[in-house]
Amino acid sequence: MFFNVKILAQPYFCKRLQILCSTTKSVIIILLILMSSASVFSQISVSGKIRSSKDGSPIPSVSVTIKGSNVGTVTDPNGIFKLSVPDKNSVLLVTSQGFATQEITIGNNTSLDLTLEENIRKLDEVIVVGYGQQRRRDVTGAISSVSAKALSEVPVSSPSQALQGRVAGLYATTQGYRPGSDVTIRIRGSRSFSAGNDPLFVIDGIPISGGLNDINPSDIESMEVLKDASATAIYGSRGANGVIIVTTKRGKSGAPIVSYDAYYGIVKPLGQADIFDGAEFAEYKRESRRNSGKYLDSNKDSSDRRLFETVELASIAAGRSTDYQDRILTNGNQQSHQLGLSGGSDQTRYALSIGYYDEKGIIPIQNFTRYNMRINLDQNVGKRVRLGASILATHSIRKGFNVNVFDDALQENPLGVPYDSTGNLIFLPTNDGLRSNPLAELVDGANVDRNKRFRLLSSLYGEIEILKGLKYRLNFGPDLVQTRNGRFTGRLTNDRRGGDPTATTAEEFVWSYTIENILNYNKILNKVHSINLTGLYSVQTRERDSTGNGVQGVAIQEMEYSNLATAPLVTGVGSLYEKWTILSYMARINYSYNGKYLITLTGRADGSSRFAPGNKWGFFPSVAVAWNISNENFLSSSTLVSNLKLRASYGETGNTGINPYQTLGGLSRTTYAFDANAGYGYRPGIIPNPNLRWETTSSLNLGLDFGLFNNRVSGSIEVYRQNTHDLLLQRQLPLTSGFANVLENIGSTRNKGIELTLSTVNIQNTKSDGFTWSTDLNLAHNKEEIVDLYGGKQDDIGNTWFIGEPINVIYDYEKVGIWQTSDKDLATTYKQRVGQIRVRDVNNDNQITSTDRVIIGSTVPRLTGGLTNRIAYKNFDFSIFIFARFGGMINSGFHDNAWMQIQGRYNNLKIDYWTPNNPTNAYPRPDENSEVPVYRSTLRYFDGSFIKIRSINLGYTFSNELSQKIHLKDARFYITVQQPAIFSKYRQKYKGIDPEYPTVNTPATSLISFGINTKF
Amino acid sequence: MKKIILILIATLPVISCNKMLNEEVRSQAPFDYLSTPAGFEDAVKGAYSSLRNFYATERGMSLTVFGTDTYTNGADGSFKFVNQYTGELDPRLSIIREIWNEFYIAINTCNTVIDMAPEVMGVSDLIKNRRIAEARFLRGHYLFILAQMFGPVPVPLKANRSVVIESTREPLDKVYATIISDLDFAILNLEIKPADFGRATKPAAEHLLSRVYLTKATSSAKAADDYTKSLDNAKKVINNYSFKLLPDFAKIFEQGSGEKNDEIIWSVQYTNDPRTNSSGNNAHVFFLMEYDVLPGMQRDVENGRPFKRFKPTSFTLDTLFKDRVNDTRYDKSFKTVFYSNNAATIPKNTNGTPKYKVGDTAIWLPGVELSASVVNSKPYAVYTPSKYTEKVYPSLIKFLDPLRADRTVFEGSRDYLAFRLAETYLIAAEAAMYSGDNTAAADFINAVRWRSARTSADPVQNTAYRVAMTVAAAQMDIDFILNERGRELLGEQDRWFDLVRTNKLLERVKKWNPQAGPNILAKHVLRPIPQDQIDRTSNTFSQNNGY
Repeated sequence: MFFNVKILAQPYFCKRLQILCSTTKSVIIILLILMSSASVFSQISVSGKIRSSKDGSPIPSVSVTIKGSNVGTVTDPNGIFKLSVPDKNSVLLVTSQGFATQEITIGNNTSLDLTLEENIRKLDEVIVVGYGQQRRRDVTGAISSVSAKALSEVPVSSPSQALQGRVAGLYATTQGYRPGSDVTIRIRGSRSFSAGNDPLFVIDGIPISGGLNDINPSDIESMEVLKDASATAIYGSRGANGVIIVTTKRGKSGAPIVSYDAYYGIVKPLGQADIFDGAEFAEYKRESRRNSGKYLDSNKDSSDRRLFETVELASIAAGRSTDYQDRILTNGNQQSHQLGLSGGSDQTRYALSIGYYDEKGIIPIQNFTRYNMRINLDQNVGKRVRLGASILATHSIRKGFNVNVFDDALQENPLGVPYDSTGNLIFLPTNDGLRSNPLAELVDGANVDRNKRFRLLSSLYGEIEILKGLKYRLNFGPDLVQTRNGRFTGRLTNDRRGGDPTATTAEEFVWSYTIENILNYNKILNKVHSINLTGLYSVQTRERDSTGNGVQGVAIQEMEYSNLATAPLVTGVGSLYEKWTILSYMARINYSYNGKYLITLTGRADGSSRFAPGNKWGFFPSVAVAWNISNENFLSSSTLVSNLKLRASYGETGNTGINPYQTLGGLSRTTYAFDANAGYGYRPGIIPNPNLRWETTSSLNLGLDFGLFNNRVSGSIEVYRQNTHDLLLQRQLPLTSGFANVLENIGSTRNKGIELTLSTVNIQNTKSDGFTWSTDLNLAHNKEEIVDLYGGKQDDIGNTWFIGEPINVIYDYEKVGIWQTSDKDLATTYKQRVGQIRVRDVNNDNQITSTDRVIIGSTVPRLTGGLTNRIAYKNFDFSIFIFARFGGMINSGFHDNAWMQIQGRYNNLKIDYWTPNNPTNAYPRPDENSEVPVYRSTLRYFDGSFIKIRSINLGYTFSNELSQKIHLKDARFYITVQQPAIFSKYRQKYKGIDPEYPTVNTPATSLISFGINTKF
Repeated sequence: MKKIILILIATLPVISCNKMLNEEVRSQAPFDYLSTPAGFEDAVKGAYSSLRNFYATERGMSLTVFGTDTYTNGADGSFKFVNQYTGELDPRLSIIREIWNEFYIAINTCNTVIDMAPEVMGVSDLIKNRRIAEARFLRGHYLFILAQMFGPVPVPLKANRSVVIESTREPLDKVYATIISDLDFAILNLEIKPADFGRATKPAAEHLLSRVYLTKATSSAKAADDYTKSLDNAKKVINNYSFKLLPDFAKIFEQGSGEKNDEIIWSVQYTNDPRTNSSGNNAHVFFLMEYDVLPGMQRDVENGRPFKRFKPTSFTLDTLFKDRVNDTRYDKSFKTVFYSNNAATIPKNTNGTPKYKVGDTAIWLPGVELSASVVNSKPYAVYTPSKYTEKVYPSLIKFLDPLRADRTVFEGSRDYLAFRLAETYLIAAEAAMYSGDNTAAADFINAVRWRSARTSADPVQNTAYRVAMTVAAAQMDIDFILNERGRELLGEQDRWFDLVRTNKLLERVKKWNPQAGPNILAKHVLRPIPQDQIDRTSNTFSQNNGY
């Protein structure tokens, strides 16, 4: 066995020396191998296997040395080592990068089975930066990492969801609870009006468009969030909103490992909207008529008879009430299965997986299914060449996403009955022409809404070492996305209300590719000057081709949208083609002096097809410096400070997020007819603007990384200021010019903020199965403001953009209450009536005009953060993750909707409405003659603060003996509760459901799931 | 050597790729297209499309139908304050902005046609002039509506495709000068009956010009000969072509045949093909009472979608349409009976049997008060005028669209009859009256009235009806003519303009529109200039007084 190690080690050594000699890792390995070669005179043979405490996987290349000597060995790809030691009292020193060092006294135990704890010191951890990797200690930019461990703590359907609350300065907002919903990600706030605020996603080196929903979270090894210009400037024109780099799991040399991970969970609605029941609705409806004088309490019976229809009267008499909400909401479920195979030899490493994810929503017709396949390969060819591929294939089907039954259920009159005496569905439970039975939407085949998506995202590379330290790498990243949406709306639905069924189809084919040529040179001079040079030339292209059709009158309902030709009426046809290309040159210099002083210089030039000739190219430079203070002599022996690094960076990044062809101007299609003949025409539509250029963000970032008490307390503080100028802005034009707007580079915004990331080990235990407790906390504060618009300091009220305020502010009348009886005369002055919403007359001119609107607040939170506590004891692990935002308002669509007409027609949020006997200031008096209460929009603004328990996780890892008994290498069982509670005034006081998703659509859910992670 | 090859490989794409930054446009049409013969034609068609923004839309109707003496608000709708003239009727009013915006885009399109014409190769001068004439007809038309709504307005006469942030309101006489010169050119160059039904025609331009002079005559831009010119143009339309007043008032609005008949001078085109119908003719929904929730009824295609936006004032019902014996227009304008179409909600007798069957009368609006005993004797619902509410009132049936594919369709297919011969007569009557020729005025009025006289198989009775409908020269005054317009053109998107033109808006609204009367002010004879226009213009752009 020992012999084996040497055989394995020699070529390994040579190869590593050639390819990776710059990294400490290889240096250590080399030293260890040299040491192991010298250890032939030993007396006791000791062997063992070393595995990771995290997932039980064997750890190769662990150094095992005899303490106090230079004798030692390293583990083979299976984590196995064999070593001869002088005597029983020998102490083995087991060290490996990224793991805590262990010391073992041999005693009589010559066969060791060791597990290594992941090291809390993360300084040697290698993190992925753009176009390469760096040790954490060498990083000069503001980069946060999310590990596979954190990702796996919350079972999520998409990687973006896993980022919620994990990274200071990254704010991920739920886009709903319909299966297949994604989240929006903002890094350090919003800065752009029209060029988009989504970060750039890079998967296995390839920048991609359109979020992360296609990626199976279990395939991810790590995610790095690049926040400052130093980190993002290498992505130049696409880096302004931050960059998220996703690295998928790759194979390691060693025996094949088969893994199976799965969970199954029950999805439950997290509460329901509080609406009127039958009796309350009846009274509410009466009040709406009392208001207009048409309901006389003096003769209640006859008033009721005039007001209510037969079914309503019957319900009132019987005390009957239909809870449609309850009838459409059910328990859904989620399940995920992932089967993986990884392993490899020196020359070939592979990781394969197939995955299946299925979610059935809490509204029966909504569900989402995703099939994933991933193949990651790395192959050495000779000594200098490495080739590899990572191929991700996804096929997903999302159903019912565009059918909003929840909205229907909330509005439906609770005095109606959904079924007749024979159990048949009544399509129109009441006489109201607009309200049909919400349950009819759920009838099989009534609403067909399918979104099929197929994606093949690949990253292929070839790497050659040209000279010692000089490498050339070619990346090719083709990305194919095909989607097909089909929608069929049957006769008996609220959309059609007895009309002919409609069907639409839409298909899109998106073909993108990236080609990158990367040259990298590493050199250490005089042992203290470490230089790393990177050069890049790349091309990215995205081509989009789409078509869509719509018809009315599909012959047979079962045809859905699959035989459009049977419909007599074509309601629309369309197609689109667009394409853009970016060419880029980038150069980066990393220099480090003795590991203490670090500097990174980057420059990137991007050429975009989207701008006119002369403005196509932009240059984005950045500089970053860092000082590893703890490496200075005066701190190196400190017991208090184990790590201290100061970083500063300044740089520029761009945003090209405008649609292609904007600079060219063009015509708009018009529609008219002469008699029955089509009269399509064209008219001037978009003003050509050849002067459009990049929107540029210059960022200044100061960061401090610290570790105290042997890194039991560690973290970082970031302070930043981002100035975005040349904002791409739809400048509003006076329409007398013939155009409504023109896209121009006008205006600037500024984002300032501070972020704190803190990790503490509250209780540490040297024994691997002892009690440990650690905490991760991140907090971020960001202030957005508009600095100028159109080159001046004038507000743009039409767009509600105000100098000094964030981009998204709430500008409206300010509700002061409800007009009370005592103020009747005053109300009349304002041409209002008692019981209506009263707003502030800001300029006291005795009338409410548009000048009385004020800035009520902004949707930007003051503080956001996440808190994770992890506890481990023996084989149990426990974590609880809390996610919170404080301050900032929400603009609650939930409170400004068809079911908030307060008209006494549809069912309504159960509000405290004004009546002469209930002189509240909360909500106006129901009014049958008012389709929308005057100033209703003032009812929709709330404090958006919340604290969410995002997940609670309890896991049990089988002991080795037990695992082996059931023929597993490793097994862990866990139970997770996701979002069991939301604490927010919005929810508890104002009857909203989820402040993060204040919309009338499928409501918030909670998930209880059971899962296993196994390896065999 | 290897190194050199690699560097070559790496740099090769650089040479070829710069071309990749050129944009290849496929789905988008470039400006150049407009100078091709097909593009030129398309630009003319583009100039027509904005008509659909105003005619038969909620915005166009809300600004012309209610807030007058004939119509007030019903129960629903977001623009009741337009009727009520409250503080909400301010420069931020969306529907005003939408019309302003769309019409100036349309004017730029017209200007593009006019300016582009000389550059277009391969189109004969005859056709070019015809197309320019269409563009000028439309420009004049759009400017005329803007001038009536806002008073002095900018008059862009050059095609623009660049950023222009200056704009000036031209004095009203200049606005009218442009409108008149546009229509003069149109009259000279337009066809009488173009192959494409719906294009601008010579008589349409004459009709419009007669309306323009009539309006100008009471404006600050008035000239002594305005009424003469108005009358001349109206007479040309009446005398020179084959237009005829249809013998039956109801036939004018009959769908299908009614959209193309002898009385129609020019109509805004809608179709039953969703691809060419844009947002369609929406006029069918706004005037209807809420019949569909009443016993025995449900919504259907024939009776329409009742939006209950516009409710006739009691002035309309009791004064304008007081004569229901000789004049058939009350019967032919309003729906007074609904036949049951819903067995499930038919009221039941005490013994449990339905009071009536599907197809029987379910709702009756007799139009007059009846004694309680008569009302109670009916098995169906009876709504006498005292029982009218904002939801229950006689529905105007002119715009009903029973040919819609189903009862949910909002995008109606019927053409909107923008100019019809009866109005030409009424314009002529007004011009004649103001010119001092009351006899001629009465003749024009009588022509319109006689066609709506009730007919009888009995010739004596027939004559009696006709005589009863006849008015004398002595009766001619502006109030009579306005009333006649109210009877004939009720709901046809001109009432607000009529009242402003005749300086009767305040008087009549105060008198006859109880919701609007207490609030209307002198400033309301003009609409506020959209705030956006003021905010976005670099120079000072004045607001109308009082807003």
